[in-house]
Amino acid sequence: MKLNRLMRAALAVVAAAGLAIGVIAPAHSAAKTTVSIVQSNALTGLNPSVSAFNLTFNVDVATLSGMGFTYYNNKPELIDNTAYGSYKIVSKKPFKVSYTVRSGQVWSDGTPMNAVDLLLSHVTANDSYSEIAGLGDPSDARTKPAFDSGGYGGIYAENVVGQPILSANKMTVTVEYASQVPDWKLLAPGPSPVHALMLMAEGEDMLQSVAKSNAARERFLKAFTTYNTATLKKIGKVWSTSYNINTVDESTNPLLLVGNGPFMVKTAVPNGAVTMVRNPKYTSGPKVKALKTVVFKVIGDGTAAAQALKNGEIDIYAGQPTGDAVNQLKAMAPAVKIIGGDQAVYEHVDIRTGTAFGTTDTYNGVFAGNSQKALDLRTAVLLAWPREEIMEKIVRPINSSAQLMNSLMYFNAEPGYKDLIAKSGVNKFTEGTQASRNAKALALVKKYYPEATATNPVVKIKLLFGQPSNVRRVAEAALAKASVAQAGFDMDVAPTSGWSSFLESAKYDLSFFAWVKSALLQRGNVGTYQEQNYQGYSNPEIEKIYTELNGKLLTAAEIADRFLKVETILMRDAISLPIFQHPSVTGVTAKLMGVAPSPLSPNLVWNVWDWYFTA
Amino acid sequence: MFAYIVRRLGIIVVTLFGSSFILYNLAALSGDPLEGLRTSQDPNVKQQIIALTRQLQLDLPPPIRYFYWLKGILGGLVGDINFGMTRTGQPVIDQIALAVPTTLRLVSAATVLAIVFGISIGIITALRQYSRFDYAMTFVSFLLFSLPIFWVAVLLKEYLAIQFNDFLGEPTITPQWIFFASVFSGIFWAAIISGSRARVFAIFGIAGTSTAALLSYLSATKWFANPGFGPIVLFGLAVGIAFGVTYISTGLGNSAALKSALAMAVITLILYYPNQWLFGVSNKKLVYLLMIIALFVVSGLVPMLFSKIDRGPIIRTSILSAFLMGFLTVVDKLMQTWKPYMETDAVYFRPVPTIGQVNPLLEPGNFWINFLDILVHLFLPTTALLLISFAGYVRFSRGTLLEVLSQDYIRTARAKGLTERTVIMRHAFRNTMIPLTTIMVVDVMSVIGGAIITERIFGWIGMGTLFNQAIGSFDLNLLMGVFLLTGFLGVSANLVADLLYSTLDPRVRSGAGKK
Repeated sequence: MKLNRLMRAALAVVAAAGLAIGVIAPAHSAAKTTVSIVQSNALTGLNPSVSAFNLTFNVDVATLSGMGFTYYNNKPELIDNTAYGSYKIVSKKPFKVSYTVRSGQVWSDGTPMNAVDLLLSHVTANDSYSEIAGLGDPSDARTKPAFDSGGYGGIYAENVVGQPILSANKMTVTVEYASQVPDWKLLAPGPSPVHALMLMAEGEDMLQSVAKSNAARERFLKAFTTYNTATLKKIGKVWSTSYNINTVDESTNPLLLVGNGPFMVKTAVPNGAVTMVRNPKYTSGPKVKALKTVVFKVIGDGTAAAQALKNGEIDIYAGQPTGDAVNQLKAMAPAVKIIGGDQAVYEHVDIRTGTAFGTTDTYNGVFAGNSQKALDLRTAVLLAWPREEIMEKIVRPINSSAQLMNSLMYFNAEPGYKDLIAKSGVNKFTEGTQASRNAKALALVKKYYPEATATNPVVKIKLLFGQPSNVRRVAEAALAKASVAQAGFDMDVAPTSGWSSFLESAKYDLSFFAWVKSALLQRGNVGTYQEQNYQGYSNPEIEKIYTELNGKLLTAAEIADRFLKVETILMRDAISLPIFQHPSVTGVTAKLMGVAPSPLSPNLVWNVWDWYFTA
Repeated sequence: MFAYIVRRLGIIVVTLFGSSFILYNLAALSGDPLEGLRTSQDPNVKQQIIALTRQLQLDLPPPIRYFYWLKGILGGLVGDINFGMTRTGQPVIDQIALAVPTTLRLVSAATVLAIVFGISIGIITALRQYSRFDYAMTFVSFLLFSLPIFWVAVLLKEYLAIQFNDFLGEPTITPQWIFFASVFSGIFWAAIISGSRARVFAIFGIAGTSTAALLSYLSATKWFANPGFGPIVLFGLAVGIAFGVTYISTGLGNSAALKSALAMAVITLILYYPNQWLFGVSNKKLVYLLMIIALFVVSGLVPMLFSKIDRGPIIRTSILSAFLMGFLTVVDKLMQTWKPYMETDAVYFRPVPTIGQVNPLLEPGNFWINFLDILVHLFLPTTALLLISFAGYVRFSRGTLLEVLSQDYIRTARAKGLTERTVIMRHAFRNTMIPLTTIMVVDVMSVIGGAIITERIFGWIGMGTLFNQAIGSFDLNLLMGVFLLTGFLGVSANLVADLLYSTLDPRVRSGAGKK
């Protein structure tokens, strides 16, 4: 009897334990270590520095497989990557910067890194080196240079003086610049596995011993310093063409995959998925927390990507930010969390004031020139531009926390923004309600067109917004048309078969435009009112300030002061108004932590080392 | 005839030349390849514009650029054809070479299945004209005909992938679902078989009850998590095949044919376990090839035992049955692979994917798992394409067969006292196939052009995607490469269809001769 009861109790315990184990422990209890990310276009190559290969997917893969002196975080700020190396100003006049590679690091094939690895970026970014070494003139309109690089003609090429000097221990290069250019931190040379390039140029298709790799690097150094055209051309051919592959498998030359980043490409299916695995020798950047494998999958369609996220085939969705996509993602909560944000792209409306820079298509429309009439009409149309309504109906459905932009110089999140808009004079475009602004605008228009009323718009203007397929612009144009009609403008919003090809056309009185920012430059958000000026606007004061912003290192206070001056003139002359920062949407599976997309390239994957899955 | 073909080929060349010239220039005028760079704030944007202008020869007017392109194509005449490079710096020919097999994989299964199902259902509806089944199929085919593929695809993904995967986590079917499925199955079978009212109700009852029983059993045993036939069910299905094939091929009256088909079913059962062992051995290619050869040899030889005269139809029946039974055996093996497939880390208990062609994380090496992986990736796109394209075949084959059945020679055949089976299969069906063949040729050729929307939705990069991409990024070389191939196939499909028609139908041929 006693035994029986004991048996029963024991049985009950065992059964309960079994049940508990069965319920609590699912088949796979460990946290995932593989993340799948969606890409909208296929991989085309492993070297995004080649001119036609600077595409998002290529950049993402290259980012994960290579580290350098700096990277952008999600603020965005430029972060010094001390795990790879450090740089410092060694002399102010002449302006010299030394770049030192931290010793003890090795490439993924085991070859130790040193500063010779940095020299190739001089070859691929400096037009004059290309010419001196007989590798071709990068600005030639017919023939490509030996290194078909997209990096020529930039700030580096404009400012570098002579060749980089290698230190005796070969761990440091020192570069001299013509002056302390404001964005000198962005000029840090990027490391390349030059030994692998040299070996490939010599026809090798296998990883070589460390001794042989070191010797190959010495041969590169010799070719570099002696301008050995023949050898450099061979390397250039490898650099420009061999990396342009969309397939990686066991037959791929392993020298092409040598890198110093946290991950390296293991397989790439042509037009399909790319699988990257950990680089076991990686020490050149922040430690990777958890991930072992990163998979990129190609899905062009936003709906398809969202459904793939729901089905667990991808962990991160970063597609076309549309209201539909956001709703689809919202419906998947709580299995999916949405990270809203802003891109480094901002929408604004630009008014033409004259003939576009470098064309002969003369503009004589209502907004032309600096007369009081033109100024009043420009002010009127900007007053009547329904910016709040555009925010409410078009942008906030995607990013509910989006704010109206009121500065052309700063993004809303930047520290100087509040001070600037308080003083810049933008308040004349923000005061009151849209109805009161429309009334003010109509009053301005009536000064010149007394017959104009809200129901009788008489001032004919033409807006350029692009193709009918650009849904967002079509919607913006429709809202704007209705609102400016209140101020007496009859705005023609017919779509065109393109957008940029009409930017210089004098037929259009105003256009939507969105600057795409790719780097944190001292000169701020506005491209320039010189070269890429399609509005025909020019102001000597602004030009002077821009020359200064582009040419001289300024303190934060000085920059804020210059920005305020420019902004005040732009607002006074009523030539453009910002509207919104393009919203971005990232859907992340709820178990994935640490994803913090950056507005600057490589937007999503910049901190892949911090990502981890919860169990 | 020869002169006719040469003339048609000449027309093809002229058509392609003219249309490519027009398309090239229209596409070149349709937009600005530099658009992205014009909004860029890169410090070296000027240099980037130079590089792109250099690469795409944007400094030349489009008509001149066309002739540069044409020069590369005409190089084909001296064996040095050059389709140029895409905007992203890849050879166009490589992109097309990658895309064609993708497209073929995507559309071929769907096309074949659409033809097989479409024609069979079309024929049944024609034979059961104005029956409930006919009305039902007419309704269904018009419904499917009018559905947009992107919507079908979204629904299929939601129900057959996402929710089915959720279901597999706990593969028990709820009583409501069993009820609905049973009612549906009852209505379906009652409509197909038809007959007197009492018979219809009887069929409804039997079909409904057996479906309910089957589903309850499958649910109770969690069959969907670990499916398979097993030797007994397989044998039952094989016997069914034997009767079915014999009925269509020779009629059940031919006892030698029936016996040899049944012998095939018995052999399928006997070989069940040896086959399982053979499926597992290494050196797969050779072993599988030998198995296929053995299948045909055995099924060709066995009928010899049953008949000494008129062996042709009997051998045909036997081979056809054996082939279908072999197919079932493979299906059974794939079902057995289902569970291990689901248990791999790469699949992680969510076997039905919504995108892509293969699971990139799946380790290569296991033939059956990788094969199943390809099949599950094909499942949704094929189903979607099948659903929307088979309606056309249903309607067309129904109409053609009805027309043929009203011909005099059918009445003659019936008057001769031929069985209804012979009249349908030999006299009516063959003549129905003639116009269908020409349609199929054009269809098959045009599928190479790709299914732009289907490819996009399922994340496949085939010809349709290339075309879409080329237009979107003003990539003229790529656009022209795709156009040249699809345009050529399009016009030559018409030629082939015409030639085929005259070969198949002697009446057309003799008509042409008299001219």
